[in-house]
Amino acid sequence: MVNIEDLKREAKHLLDQGKVKYIIGYKKGTHGILAAPFFIKTPEEVDDLVWDPTCVHNLTRFLDDEKKKKARQKEPDQRPVGIIVKGCDSRAINVLLQEEFIKREDVYLIGISCENTGVLDEKKLAEKTNGRQVEKVEFAEEDNFVILTDEGKMEIPAREILAERCIECKTNTPVVKDVLFGEDIVRSVAGDFKSLEEIEALSGEERWAFWKKHLDKCIRCYACRSVCPMCYCEECVVDTINFAVTADTSAKEKAQKIKWIEKSPVLSENFVYHMVRAMHLAGRCVDCGECERVCPVDIPIRLLNKKMEKEAKELFDYDVGLDHDRPSLVASFRDEDPEDFIR
Amino acid sequence: MEKILTKQTFPQWIEKLKSYTIYAPVKDEGHWSYEILEDAASISPEYPNAVESPKKIIFPQREILFDFGSQENTGVAVNENLPAEQPTVIFGVRPCDAKALTLTDKVFSGDFEDPYYWKRRNAAVLVGLACNTPPSPNCFCLSVNGSPFSKEGLDVLLTDLGDAYFVEVLTEKGEQLVGAAGNLFSDTPDKTKSEVKKLRTEAEKKITRQVKDADRIPAKLKEIFDEPFWEDEALGCIRCGICTYLCPTCHCFDINDEVASNSPLKGKRVRTWDNCQFPDFTMHSSGHNPRPDKASRLRQRISHKYNYFVELYNEYQCTGCGRCIDKCPVGIDIIEVLNKVNEYGA
Repeated sequence: MVNIEDLKREAKHLLDQGKVKYIIGYKKGTHGILAAPFFIKTPEEVDDLVWDPTCVHNLTRFLDDEKKKKARQKEPDQRPVGIIVKGCDSRAINVLLQEEFIKREDVYLIGISCENTGVLDEKKLAEKTNGRQVEKVEFAEEDNFVILTDEGKMEIPAREILAERCIECKTNTPVVKDVLFGEDIVRSVAGDFKSLEEIEALSGEERWAFWKKHLDKCIRCYACRSVCPMCYCEECVVDTINFAVTADTSAKEKAQKIKWIEKSPVLSENFVYHMVRAMHLAGRCVDCGECERVCPVDIPIRLLNKKMEKEAKELFDYDVGLDHDRPSLVASFRDEDPEDFIR
Repeated sequence: MEKILTKQTFPQWIEKLKSYTIYAPVKDEGHWSYEILEDAASISPEYPNAVESPKKIIFPQREILFDFGSQENTGVAVNENLPAEQPTVIFGVRPCDAKALTLTDKVFSGDFEDPYYWKRRNAAVLVGLACNTPPSPNCFCLSVNGSPFSKEGLDVLLTDLGDAYFVEVLTEKGEQLVGAAGNLFSDTPDKTKSEVKKLRTEAEKKITRQVKDADRIPAKLKEIFDEPFWEDEALGCIRCGICTYLCPTCHCFDINDEVASNSPLKGKRVRTWDNCQFPDFTMHSSGHNPRPDKASRLRQRISHKYNYFVELYNEYQCTGCGRCIDKCPVGIDIIEVLNKVNEYGA
């Protein structure tokens, strides 16, 4: 098991020695169950660092902020940012490296192995605790989670409250890192893409009804996009900000800018938004599950991305984020790539 | 007027309200939302609070203001699309959400009365449900002049007494609603009042989260406008729109023309909610953006609610419902931010 004191020692050392400019990690949230992202600038702050099954966030999303900030500075601090990465997060790092969005020397990767468990699903936990107030969740022996509530301690097999993606995860140990905490374990997972079985068994009509019902709820808060480490585009199709207007842009030019999508949260536009996002994540989504976790209206967004991941696997034998030295799926061509779907 | 309605007869009351469109919180796959009620029996008092407040019924996220089209000879024809004044009852409104509508009322009245808003607002009857138990661990209505039993903005307030509701009829609209099935409502026994008072005291005790010295915040916000505080607080922000879209008091909107590319002179002028947390919210056509980063946008959200609105209307534009805290993907906590504002530099 990961010893939090070892992790803190490393974090303090990195900051003390000035090896990183700051560390992105986790702290206890001010409310509720989940941890919160934590930006640690001084060794003194390290004491508040936590690692437990509530550390669900994919912190690599914040590298976009860092990059933008750096671009605005005249003489930016060139030291790397320390960042805590779980297995899934480390695959996001690989994708960002493949796409040259970041350079390897920009980050100091503090890898943490999820070993045989992972992080929790807040809703599954709520069902188990049934109204009791959860004060803390901890890793325990025998792949259990210990839940401290206002009515005492509960020990539950982790599997029963794990985030869905963790159940299917094969990279519980980070695939790219500078240092690793926890055991380097390779675990076997029963059946790939199990989460897709139910929806794939539906007829086209049933699937349409399923997505119609869910996407109709979308309020277009864009939390799924905003939390995604892969959604780093300077210009997102849904933002009107992408119309680069300068003092010289004529009224006619402004009028002719293409509006890809209406702001109206109606089914047609919601479909466009979610389909565009799914397509743009093909071969890039690492299934960190953040988009689905943050959705305030419970749209099962992960299914869309998981389907694209499956397509990439079946058509091109491509695994996302395993190796940053390999070209990315959408930027590579091999003679043996199938083309019978191009008509 | 105070009455008692047994839960057993509650569906019979609903049956008598056939001339109204009825909204109530409905649960679908763990998700609570206000929906048009198909079946009176599906009303449940056991709900926490809906993810989206009843704001979306009175002030929908999208509405067509008018259609337009060009015609030969006559020029452009415009057809206004004012909402029909369909009598509507919203059941199960939490006191914080009812109060929120009274705040939005202020915004959509004054120098310019927004007819689209008021057509729906005037036709709506709000039946509240007192919070015997705070619906969210992040409820903090007591800090912002609210209460789990507040009647502000409601036409009727129900209090769950176990097998019956204590019914407080607060307005003329409420009287009509109760009058539609007057025989179902019985007089209140003497002991009920003390029972309700006890429930209220207990409910207030259960609200543990608190903004300290909220009255000092408006002045403090002015003081720290330029401080690096905002940058630190916003570090974890991902610039999504959850906090504002779920807020029962946020009311900013955008107006766009929706036209087909082959007929730019025929289409709809549409109003949709807008969101101060999005980068394009303050984007000027020159390309300049006065709120270019998430720090300035977080500052705007907090300052609007706890300073600018107070200056304009002498009320906080926040009713302590806790939704922005419950649903923030990265744990940004308005209570914590406000308490830090108060402590900053002290």
